[in-house]
Amino acid sequence: MTLLLLFLIPLLAACGLQLLPPASPWVRRTALAASLAQLATAVVAWRLPPADVSLSWLPKLGLRLDLGMDGLSLPLVLLAALITAMAVLATPLEQQRARLFYGLLLATNVGLMGAFLARNALLFVLAYELILIPTTLLVAIWGGERRAGAAIRFLIYGAVSGIALLTAVLAFGWLNPGGLDFSFAALASHRIPPDQQRILLALVLLAFGLKLPMVPLHGWQPLTYSQAPTPVAMLLSGAVSKLGAYGLLRFGIGFLPDAWSDGSAWIAAIGAVTAIYGALNAIAQLDMRRLVAYSSLGHMGFLLLALAAATPLSLQGVMAQILAHGLIIALLFCLVGLVETKTGTAQIPELSGLLNAQRGLPFTMGLMLLALMAAAGVPGQAGFVAELLVFEGSWVAYPIPTLVCLLSSGFTAVYAVRLFNRVGFGRLDNAKANWASTSWVERAPALVLTALVLVGGIWPTLLTGLSETATAPLALRSSEAVTVIASAASLAPSQLPA
Amino acid sequence: MTTSIAPERVKAPLIPPSTHRYAEVIHRLEAGGSMLPDTPENLQQIIGIYKAYAVPMDFYWRDLLYIAERVFLNPLPAFKYFISQEYLDRPCSYSGEQSKLRIWRGGEKAHPELLEFMERGETRRMPKLLHHLWHDRVNMEFAEACMQAMLWHQGMGGRFNDYLESDAYKANADRAIKAYFRGNPLMLGLYKLFPEMFLEQVRQLSYAANLGLFWEVMAPVFFEMSDLFDEGKLTTVPQAMDFLVNGIFAVAGRPIYHHVYIGDECIEIIPKSEGFTWLYEAALPYVEAVFYRTSPFRGTKSYNAQAQQVPDNQADFHYGILYADVYPVGSAGIPPTLLMQDMLHFLPPYLKEIYREHRRGEEDELVQLGITFQRSMYNVTSAVIQALRCALLYPLDDTDPEHLMANRQFFEAQMDRFLRPEARLSDIQSQDYR
Repeated sequence: MTLLLLFLIPLLAACGLQLLPPASPWVRRTALAASLAQLATAVVAWRLPPADVSLSWLPKLGLRLDLGMDGLSLPLVLLAALITAMAVLATPLEQQRARLFYGLLLATNVGLMGAFLARNALLFVLAYELILIPTTLLVAIWGGERRAGAAIRFLIYGAVSGIALLTAVLAFGWLNPGGLDFSFAALASHRIPPDQQRILLALVLLAFGLKLPMVPLHGWQPLTYSQAPTPVAMLLSGAVSKLGAYGLLRFGIGFLPDAWSDGSAWIAAIGAVTAIYGALNAIAQLDMRRLVAYSSLGHMGFLLLALAAATPLSLQGVMAQILAHGLIIALLFCLVGLVETKTGTAQIPELSGLLNAQRGLPFTMGLMLLALMAAAGVPGQAGFVAELLVFEGSWVAYPIPTLVCLLSSGFTAVYAVRLFNRVGFGRLDNAKANWASTSWVERAPALVLTALVLVGGIWPTLLTGLSETATAPLALRSSEAVTVIASAASLAPSQLPA
Repeated sequence: MTTSIAPERVKAPLIPPSTHRYAEVIHRLEAGGSMLPDTPENLQQIIGIYKAYAVPMDFYWRDLLYIAERVFLNPLPAFKYFISQEYLDRPCSYSGEQSKLRIWRGGEKAHPELLEFMERGETRRMPKLLHHLWHDRVNMEFAEACMQAMLWHQGMGGRFNDYLESDAYKANADRAIKAYFRGNPLMLGLYKLFPEMFLEQVRQLSYAANLGLFWEVMAPVFFEMSDLFDEGKLTTVPQAMDFLVNGIFAVAGRPIYHHVYIGDECIEIIPKSEGFTWLYEAALPYVEAVFYRTSPFRGTKSYNAQAQQVPDNQADFHYGILYADVYPVGSAGIPPTLLMQDMLHFLPPYLKEIYREHRRGEEDELVQLGITFQRSMYNVTSAVIQALRCALLYPLDDTDPEHLMANRQFFEAQMDRFLRPEARLSDIQSQDYR
């Protein structure tokens, strides 16, 4: 029931919103209440692990409503619920066409929950595809000046990703000797021949590499993140993109271990290139949103590296990085959005002196300093823990890509300092600085995210504890890996200890 | 029969219009106006801030004289801001029943609002020491910074600074130092070893006396302007400026001196008989040093210093309130933060209302207040410029074109000082500068 509630709450709220009067304040309140209720349900599910749900849907197609929550999906469910609530909270009070906006946000959340809770590959694909529609509409309707181009590009890349995933999943089903069964348990129990695994891995990498994204499949990301409204950018970067990492972990390492082992050197190299490419591009950006977008791309490189290494430690790093990066990037977009709302621009050359105590945005900039430090991996914050695990875990497998990623981590500090120095310090122009200060309602999502980033830094178990037992069996390297894989192969992921 | 009405003859100007960048301001000055545009809000702002400035100023001048005359060379002057009751009750020389030269209305003792604030601060009634440590008090540091600016720049006109190097001054200071440290072999020994250090301290105290005597005049002037405005008798910015000009002339010749009281003995370090006068030895050096130049803020780097805008040449200093970037609070210029904090406690309701209606309302009152202060000081500087023109040149209604041209050249020379990019003269022409 708990798992169904995670679906039903946002779904019913998204539909119910459409019945309210257009300008009613209850539109926002309902959306917020639904997202908070879902978050509370997710916390309950964490503390009291719910029973799996298995309902027949379209048996002829092998489609069942199989829902479950293991150590891999629990952190992502919590993250998605949290980021959705924060995105709703970060939406301006005077949001235009609020019913549709909140409805689409919640619909995106339904898709995310579906993907993270699915225990059936076909159901996963359906949920995965569902996300594309509301997010495209959110960018197309409420985006910036170049929203049309951004939405079209996002749609095309998303569609290609969806087609690649659908092809891969159908192939998984067809290659199953036990018949058309898309359940994760069935996919895990059957080891596909290595040459077929390679073809499937190429499709999986294409699908999730587009979603993550990784270089050179990132073409949609900077434009979409920079044009999307702030809450949508938070949701896309903080939760939706994590589907890519989750998919690679679940489908790539989980179902195609041989091909993954064979191709991991290339994946690590792509990770290193993504990291350095993202960081260098971030340094060159003049728009804060694009800077944050490229920063996000760089951090996706770390994820790829850790996934490629697939050691117990690096896989813990993957989960920690998913959580830490989800919080940090959502926080950064939230803060950049606040600055943009107040000052009317996100252009770095047009901003300065925002730390001014009287007429700047000192509170927002104070939080931004913390967020940038977290992104740069400064100790005491969640980013440090995640990056440490990634680098420590990946070093044994791929030292050179790890060094490249470490270098790019150094570049993270460069663009963080550059951004803060230009925007926070310097002279605040009296003629331009005619904006109101931020209210506590506006600050609330940033405060919550900052608090979690700090808690994650001083209590790392929060980032790793949820998934530790679930990632260990997936490790492809280390002395225990062989036996663990052997035993894991006979178990469905949902049966793995949470 | 028809009658034709002759068109009213427009008097042709005797001299051509100015081509200066601030021609509009110059023409306004030539018409008897101020550098500050004459608008009802400008009048409200400057009168309101004069009132808010006058209350802490009433403390500044009393405490400066207390430090110069009583604290003197105390090697541990921790309590120099704990002014004695005698100086709080000291009759102002220019207002009140017991004044020596009663020009302005108002009482002779410390202003009631000041006494009330000293009692309660902005927190609550508590011992004076706690108010001091909590910084819930009048910020004398601002007054001392102004005094140090005058000392640092020196030579801003008049003979006062030269006198501080004279043998007569050194002899008087020597007498005061020896009298003050009588029976203290340690300090007398140090004086023997480092006489210049002690002399320099006394010079600084002489500037404290100088500034105290300057502000003793300005406080009642500002109080009366506020009263007149409340009574509806000051209705334009030029009227406010004229009041200041008249005040300047009324006290221009008042003496500037430095006396020290050691026990029952009064030692005249700068006797009144030296003939130093208020306008030339205090007012003009003060305006030059504080309004135009000021000094680096000790103990910290100013905002503009970080931007490497501090000139190598001291004469190029342009960080006074007329140039100060009030915006980043506590930055260049006279350390405005402390004064702004002081004035904040005494704002009249109509000024608070103006601030509430603009920008961030009460949240950035301190910045709005600082900019109002800048406006008001442009008006005071206008009064000084007009007073100098009165003293040195020709009346504004003179009919001799040569005289008018001399006035023009004087005004243009004054405006040249605001051609620097940091000058806020063009900013204050707009009401939107807040």
